[in-house]
Amino acid sequence: MVGFHEHIVSDLLEDPNGGLVVMSSGLSLHILISSLLQLHSPSQGTLLILSASPSQKSTILRSLSQSQSQSPNPNPNSTIPSELSFDLPSNHRQSLYSTGSICFITPRILIVDLLTSKLPTSSIAGLLILNAHTLSDTSTEAFAVRILRSLRSPAYVRAFSDRPHAMISAFAKAERIMKCLFIRRLHLWPRFHVLVSEQLEKTPPEVVDVRVPLSPLMKGIQKAVVGAMDACLKELRKTNKVDVDDLTVENGLFKSFDEIVRRQLDPIWHTIGKKTKQLVSDLQTLRKLLDYLVRYDAVTYLKYLDTLRVSEGVRSVWIFADSSHKIFEYAKKRVFQLVTSEGGKVALDSKNAPSKKRKMKEGGASSSSGKDDVKTDTSSGVVLEEVLEESPKWKVLREILEEIQDERQKRAPLSEGEFTVEDAGDDSGIVLVACKDERTCMQLEDCIMMGPQKVMQKEWEKYLLGKAELYGLRTRAKKKSKDPKGFGILNGLVPAVPRENTEATSNFKLERDALIAAASEINNLTEEVDAGDNFQPLPGRGRGRGRVRGRGRGRGRSQRGKEVEEVKVSETVVPKKVASDISGLESRLQRAGIDPIVTADLQEHLQTSSDENILRKHTEEFNNSELKRAKQLPPVHFYVLDSNQHILDVMKPSAIVVYHPDMAFVREIEIYKADNPLKKLKVYFLFYEDSTEVQKFEASIRRENGAFESLIRQKSLMMIPVDQDGRCLGLDASNESLISQNSITRKAGGRKAAERETQVIVDIREFMSSLPNVLHQKGMRIIPVTLEVGDYVLSPLICVERKSIADLFSSFASGRLYNQVETMARYYRIPVLLIEFSQDKSFSFQSASDIGDDVVPTSIISKLSLLVLHFPRLRLVWSRSLHATAEIFASLKANQDEPDESKAMRVGVPTEEGIVENDVRAENYNTSAVEFLRRLPGVTDSNYRTLMDGCKSLAELALLPVERLAELMGGQKAAKTLREFLDAKCPSMFYCLLQYL
Amino acid sequence: SPYPSTQSRNAILVSHRQKGNPLLKHIRNVRWMFADVLCDYLLGQGSCALYLSLRYHLLHPDYLYFRIRELQKNFKLRVVLCHVDVEDVVKPLLEVTRTALLHDCTLLCGWSLEECGRYLETIKVYENKPADSIQERMDTDYLSRLTHALTAVRHVNKTDVVTLGSTFGSLSHIMDASMEDLARCPGIGERKVKRLYDTFHEPFRRVV
Repeated sequence: MVGFHEHIVSDLLEDPNGGLVVMSSGLSLHILISSLLQLHSPSQGTLLILSASPSQKSTILRSLSQSQSQSPNPNPNSTIPSELSFDLPSNHRQSLYSTGSICFITPRILIVDLLTSKLPTSSIAGLLILNAHTLSDTSTEAFAVRILRSLRSPAYVRAFSDRPHAMISAFAKAERIMKCLFIRRLHLWPRFHVLVSEQLEKTPPEVVDVRVPLSPLMKGIQKAVVGAMDACLKELRKTNKVDVDDLTVENGLFKSFDEIVRRQLDPIWHTIGKKTKQLVSDLQTLRKLLDYLVRYDAVTYLKYLDTLRVSEGVRSVWIFADSSHKIFEYAKKRVFQLVTSEGGKVALDSKNAPSKKRKMKEGGASSSSGKDDVKTDTSSGVVLEEVLEESPKWKVLREILEEIQDERQKRAPLSEGEFTVEDAGDDSGIVLVACKDERTCMQLEDCIMMGPQKVMQKEWEKYLLGKAELYGLRTRAKKKSKDPKGFGILNGLVPAVPRENTEATSNFKLERDALIAAASEINNLTEEVDAGDNFQPLPGRGRGRGRVRGRGRGRGRSQRGKEVEEVKVSETVVPKKVASDISGLESRLQRAGIDPIVTADLQEHLQTSSDENILRKHTEEFNNSELKRAKQLPPVHFYVLDSNQHILDVMKPSAIVVYHPDMAFVREIEIYKADNPLKKLKVYFLFYEDSTEVQKFEASIRRENGAFESLIRQKSLMMIPVDQDGRCLGLDASNESLISQNSITRKAGGRKAAERETQVIVDIREFMSSLPNVLHQKGMRIIPVTLEVGDYVLSPLICVERKSIADLFSSFASGRLYNQVETMARYYRIPVLLIEFSQDKSFSFQSASDIGDDVVPTSIISKLSLLVLHFPRLRLVWSRSLHATAEIFASLKANQDEPDESKAMRVGVPTEEGIVENDVRAENYNTSAVEFLRRLPGVTDSNYRTLMDGCKSLAELALLPVERLAELMGGQKAAKTLREFLDAKCPSMFYCLLQYL
Repeated sequence: SPYPSTQSRNAILVSHRQKGNPLLKHIRNVRWMFADVLCDYLLGQGSCALYLSLRYHLLHPDYLYFRIRELQKNFKLRVVLCHVDVEDVVKPLLEVTRTALLHDCTLLCGWSLEECGRYLETIKVYENKPADSIQERMDTDYLSRLTHALTAVRHVNKTDVVTLGSTFGSLSHIMDASMEDLARCPGIGERKVKRLYDTFHEPFRRVV
């Protein structure tokens, strides 16, 4: 905990109503929350934590247990938060609420328990709401707070967000959020806050900025992608559908750019043309290309481009742009070149290509034998030369690690170049390498273990094998006979896209042939090897995140001495099976809350013990010089930034390499350092010079500062209405007071309030959506129950099944909708299917151009038509939005009786005797028997009644001969089907079980 | 009779009121002809449709109600086909929804004349189509069918189906089993036995 955290806490405690805290990302929100939790004592009541993401939960729990173990006089009353889910029976929940404990709770459980009074408002001390930027006045959290406030609960509401830019994504968003949470105070804690910067910059870590130049080809690709992006943006601007201000390449680097564009386009999505839609998705693709350029190695990048070309091929606009041609060309050049066997390079440059291209095209068109010429040419003349450009950062990372080790050796000349025991005691000596994703982590690990060349070689082999498989499959699919000799699969090879064929240049073909040649070589090689001694060229190791590798860990290393080398070797050849077992074990242990370092030890132990027999002769396979170099490296831990684990406090590294720059992580480092001011900490930043990576990093800081500036402005202008006690009045305060005034005058008139409170019965599963909240805002009483039939019961006659558009499509596809409508129609006079569109999406299923020329069964029109034909009593309600739905509900209820809760609950649920209440047929029919009958094969809608007339019961039916059945069912075929099914020999239990397994 | 000939049975009969409605251009997959019908579109024996443009509704808010009242009750399916052709839909659509719902009409919305036309075509074409394509697809193997049938009895689960099947050998034997035999099956408790037995032995129709 850093000083400013204490400030935030005391600020929050000042106002008994609570407040909204917006802080810069990476300022360790979890520490703030956990210190708030520690202040809680059970006597205050229950403290509920809402909307915490799983990673937030785990980090909060961890920092809570950490600080509790550290503090000299731990708070004896404080409790570890427990998780509340619907799995917990309601009486258990009730008793938990009464103990005054701390719970993680979902808004859905909270609102249901509040509405059903399982959770008495008096027992709530307060709510902590995380991720406040996701809130709106229709969200369930707001619903819960409104209920609390309407019941005059004194509980505090403290909301938090560390995503300031998300807090300004809509007009006066912060203000609206505060009003809907009935909060008056806004606490802003940007990184540039005086207190924060003072404290973080008091003892700053030693920072080394390493600017790695991009390779010329990478630079070329980057330029080309940015160019293509710019072209797309220009096109998009021309459409006049989008606000131009936001359309900059810089914005385009962020994921939120898609949201900006989609938010503007979604409401009119059905009116915009195909081209605009394509542009939007192209921009997304291009952004990914930029991102992957600095994250993936050359081969993987090329592979990604290849798949893009196949999947996007014809549709994309950008792929045909001039600059995109360069993307592909450069990406290829980073991996391989075509060389004639005499050593001369085949011209691949775009300058020389056109003339050659034309020539070859003519040749190809004029005679089919031309193909053969090329082929022989290929097999004799042109070979692939591998270029396999390594990522520039790899080398730099290695140098940094070596440098760190050198420094340490200099610092501690004792104990044979290892660091001293005291040193190891206070810090683990671990170097933390932070990368964006798991993939990079694993690859970097491989790089350090095996050397970059090996890694590239491996990727290249995989790439070629993939190519070989692809072409092999294609030719097989075309049913071409395989030429037995060499790589004859090339014979009559037809590319997947026919138009490619005509465009195929000589280069294209040469290249493809050479690729396949190389691939088949590798293929043969690996096959031989496989046949030989089961040698695995690709070492498989356990892959789990957040693990300390056995390699040269500080502690205990000196004792092991020579062993270390062996361990290292063996580690790389642990067979996959063992490795995955270990990682599985590890993750289980981690879930159980066991220190990862312990598990790493365990794992190392497992590995050393499990693979002596596999070691055998492979030791000499590994390059000795490499091993020696490897020995000089300090212990390294790879950390995946995306995992949001906040492990700095756990790992306590003394050096950090930020492989992919990330703003939030930088702040985490600062806080870690401020928290441990005496610790020596050196941080290396690896940037690609002049790259979009730097641009993006800088832009993210600018963007956050901009967000805070806007929030500060908003705060100064904010109007939060309060009552005489200083409580916030909420969003529609003015309306409410008006209503209450009216009712007072009405009462003064001496009449009893004529207005009865309308009520709606809502299935508890529906509290995932915002509709119950909006209905409540409209002044309806919400009664949550578990409904067997329908989602909402508006009156004794009207039952509603609500479907969002996505739901509608999926439940049509699964057939669930048909069943739901069928049961609704059985129990209610007016069954209603509510089709609810989303306010910010377009109000239509499809644009006119998508409708097509024919009646096709798959279209939504056909499905809806079929549904209404089969259920003519079903009423459809089309609603523009949540709020429109609420109005429709209110209007439909106008002249109807109020629904009865206990009746609605029993609908569709048979009593012990199997009689279903309200079922019009239940008094007259044995419903489960009828249902059973109708599910038998051969029985249809048209013949089940006559069957019921023809025999008394199912037991009787079981004995009817086929002739009699034919009479009753009106057909031999159906009767035979039924009789055969009845008499079919049921498979043995064993067989049945097999089927289910 | 609204159907002058067998030939026109396969066609949509269009009221003369609809003359000049550009929607007619979009009915192309089904034949249509003008006829003296009360509804706007007679789609089959039991189904008819009224056409309403929301823009028209804004000018004549009572029109729909009077048209519905005019219709005889002898249609099983009465569709109000609403062409959503205004920007601000919430209020007019609410009114149309309410009128249709409270007067036993099914509301279908189309956002273009093409879409409206397609609804008319589809309802005509699918007049006698079974609901298979929107029903739950059931596996056709024996065990799935057996499970499907037996789970019509409440609280009977997959395991019970296997138990029953392997104990009695065939479905007809299960249906004919005595209470004692059913009770002997492991995992099938007293209440389930009674529920099963009643399903099989109680008459389909209860004597009133």
